Amino acid sequence: MVAQMSDMKNPLLEMRGISKHFGATKALDGVDFVCNPGEVHAVLGENGAGKSTLMKLIAGVLQPTHGQICIDGKAVFLNSPKAALSHGLVCMFQELSLVPDLTVRENLLLGAPGAGIGWLRSEALAKAQDVLARIEGKSIKMGARVADLTLPQRQQVEIAKAMMKRPRLLILDEATSALGASVVERVFDLVREERDNGTAILFISHRFHEVEALADRISVFRNGQRVETFMTGDHDYTEIINMMVGQKIEELFPAKTPAQPDAEIVLDVQNYSWDGRLRDINLRVRRGQIVGLGGLDGQGQSMFLMGLFGLLRQAEGTTAIAGQPTRIGSPKQAKQQAIALAYIPEDRKTEGLILDQGIQENLELAAIGRADLDATDPALYAASLEQLALKHGGLDQPVASLSGGNQQKVVLAKWLALKPRCLLLADPTRGIDVKTKTQIYAILRQLADQGTAIVLLSTDYEELIQLCDETHVFFDGQVVASLADGDLTAENIIAASLNLDAKSRAAHA
Amino acid sequence: MLRGLSLDSLMPYFGVVLLIIGGSFFFPQVLSADYLTQQLQIAAFLGFLATGATVVILLGHIDLSVPWILTGAAILSTALVGTGNPFLSAIAVPAALVFGALIGIVNGIGVAILRIPSMVWTLAVNSMLLGLAVLNTGGFNPKGEASALMKTMASGDILGLPVSFLIWIALCIVLAWFLTRTPFGRYLRSIGFNEKATFLSGVSTPSVVFAAFAIAGMCSALGGVMLAGYANQAYQSMGDPFLLPTIAAVVIGGTSILGGRGGLFGTIGGALFITLLTSILSVMQIEDAWRNIIFGTIILVMLLFQTLRKGDTA
Repeated sequence: MVAQMSDMKNPLLEMRGISKHFGATKALDGVDFVCNPGEVHAVLGENGAGKSTLMKLIAGVLQPTHGQICIDGKAVFLNSPKAALSHGLVCMFQELSLVPDLTVRENLLLGAPGAGIGWLRSEALAKAQDVLARIEGKSIKMGARVADLTLPQRQQVEIAKAMMKRPRLLILDEATSALGASVVERVFDLVREERDNGTAILFISHRFHEVEALADRISVFRNGQRVETFMTGDHDYTEIINMMVGQKIEELFPAKTPAQPDAEIVLDVQNYSWDGRLRDINLRVRRGQIVGLGGLDGQGQSMFLMGLFGLLRQAEGTTAIAGQPTRIGSPKQAKQQAIALAYIPEDRKTEGLILDQGIQENLELAAIGRADLDATDPALYAASLEQLALKHGGLDQPVASLSGGNQQKVVLAKWLALKPRCLLLADPTRGIDVKTKTQIYAILRQLADQGTAIVLLSTDYEELIQLCDETHVFFDGQVVASLADGDLTAENIIAASLNLDAKSRAAHA
Repeated sequence: MLRGLSLDSLMPYFGVVLLIIGGSFFFPQVLSADYLTQQLQIAAFLGFLATGATVVILLGHIDLSVPWILTGAAILSTALVGTGNPFLSAIAVPAALVFGALIGIVNGIGVAILRIPSMVWTLAVNSMLLGLAVLNTGGFNPKGEASALMKTMASGDILGLPVSFLIWIALCIVLAWFLTRTPFGRYLRSIGFNEKATFLSGVSTPSVVFAAFAIAGMCSALGGVMLAGYANQAYQSMGDPFLLPTIAAVVIGGTSILGGRGGLFGTIGGALFITLLTSILSVMQIEDAWRNIIFGTIILVMLLFQTLRKGDTA
């Protein structure tokens, strides 16, 4: 253990001997943790390592089974989020906390300082608007309903909402997971400024380069215990991964298998347009190919993916599946054997799973509607469950009680049971721990090697570079660049995402 | 099947036992076979409605058009019998069921295609049916009578058990099989929990909604036919007193009003409990005002108990 900086005055937050038990499960076990003012402290660990529990204790959502929390050296009892807020502890949780049916303004004013019963103070909004303007969120209208915002826009509002509470300690739990690279950079500028003003920041992210860019110190958690705390740069990526996982992971991404250039074309979409928002998109995916869809958020790539699965009405253009011209009008049609598409939606909690039902019931839901499959046959799911190493306490366990990574495994297994010839994935690794990511990458590679055509939408360009044979970058509803082989670099993806130098790049591809 | 036997769904049965034991202290005749079989017969009328309502509530919706589907079916069937034409008399019951299914499909169109909240749409349909019935009869009690079949269904008995009760239980067994053993049942619950995820799993959710509302409509219509057979006539507003007890029976039976969770076993208990409670309160000759207050309080207590218990385990 690294000695804490003893020359500092009282740390802002000190946790001593903290344990949190849920029944027989020890989510946290005797953890000591210190966070100083004016530092960005990253907390790393796999899902289930205890990070979220730790944050919830600090935010007053949960109370420790044993141990003591001190603020400015004084022991406090945080029995509610309100109590935590009164000490200046503000948390922006990974699960979005906005009320969908209220407007942005109303959401911001909920829980704003001085709100409560009485007048709503609109001057508090000035700070939030200022924050939004700085993180490229100016286009978000105060009167817009949150339900009508895109996921990245909601995260921007969340950030503004947290900032306007003027925190002394700000917890960012996967706060930027849905944001594009340039917005993330703006958010980081803002966070650094807050840090320089003496705010302590606890930062949780699964994107390692973000942690490296932002954090001053890093604490690694594993199995409910703090493994080590060190200054950023003291350990390299591999060492940190080993610390988190407790075993060596040689490489995150599997080796690329060169795709057969003349393999059968599984999915061929030409001149796809919809509602003026998508224009003239062409996509061709061969057997065994992984094709990436990239770009900043909300440039039409998620729309396009939904359109492929039959979710957009009155789309124009032609679609051919294995050479057969087809019109896909609904998910029900898309999953039938003749077409055999599968779609892993962006938001696994509300679109991919039925949280109140058990694993087994969720697994069966897609297969039931296929006449050629027996949905109750466990053999349908066994292979992918084993390959994904799904951790569970029986297939009756409600999926709500699984970690994010395990939930995504259930969504994958549910669709892989249908043996899709083409798999459409919308950002499947968002907010998921490194180990699960690796497993998902490996299974995608393996599926591709077995002949599945894969379309992977991702906000993480490492994935687009390391996993995909070809990546189409979207800008304003169009594909502005198609990058392959040597052109598939971070610089090119970023430049194309911002639609810089589009012409020469398109000529390349 | 054992999963259906949650503590929530057993609650109304405990309630029934308590009511019988408690009631027998004041009125020993509560324990008589006559009294109990009569309760089973009456409970069946409410039971048909609650069975249909369970299907819709599992879907995460609600059907407020129960009263006038019931009344409409009763008016239609008695009017057909009242013509004296043997053919029309014979089709009286099927015609009423078709009527219920059609109104159910109209409900389904509003909810699944036009995406209007079921609470609003079915209330509007209920009101339109009321208007149609009044137009049709000129506001007077409709003429007509019940057929022999309808009377037997409502008041006959086989081996000492009321026919109405036997039909109800048979219907519940068939529906329970559908709900637990067929894709339709799986889809119904899944939609109740999360319609979007179900649709994205490649399920034609509108057809499930149509089917559920059609089943509910037929159940309500069957209840109407039974009541008409029982009273040997149809009358305006005969369904009005049934709406709230129907929903109460479903919810007391442990089915979540938010959809997804619950089942018919609990609903049977709920309908029995509410029927018995109403009967015992009226046998005790408590005045109407107090009867309503006690009725409401007991239902609240039962629901409160369920909520508290969930709070413990969550």
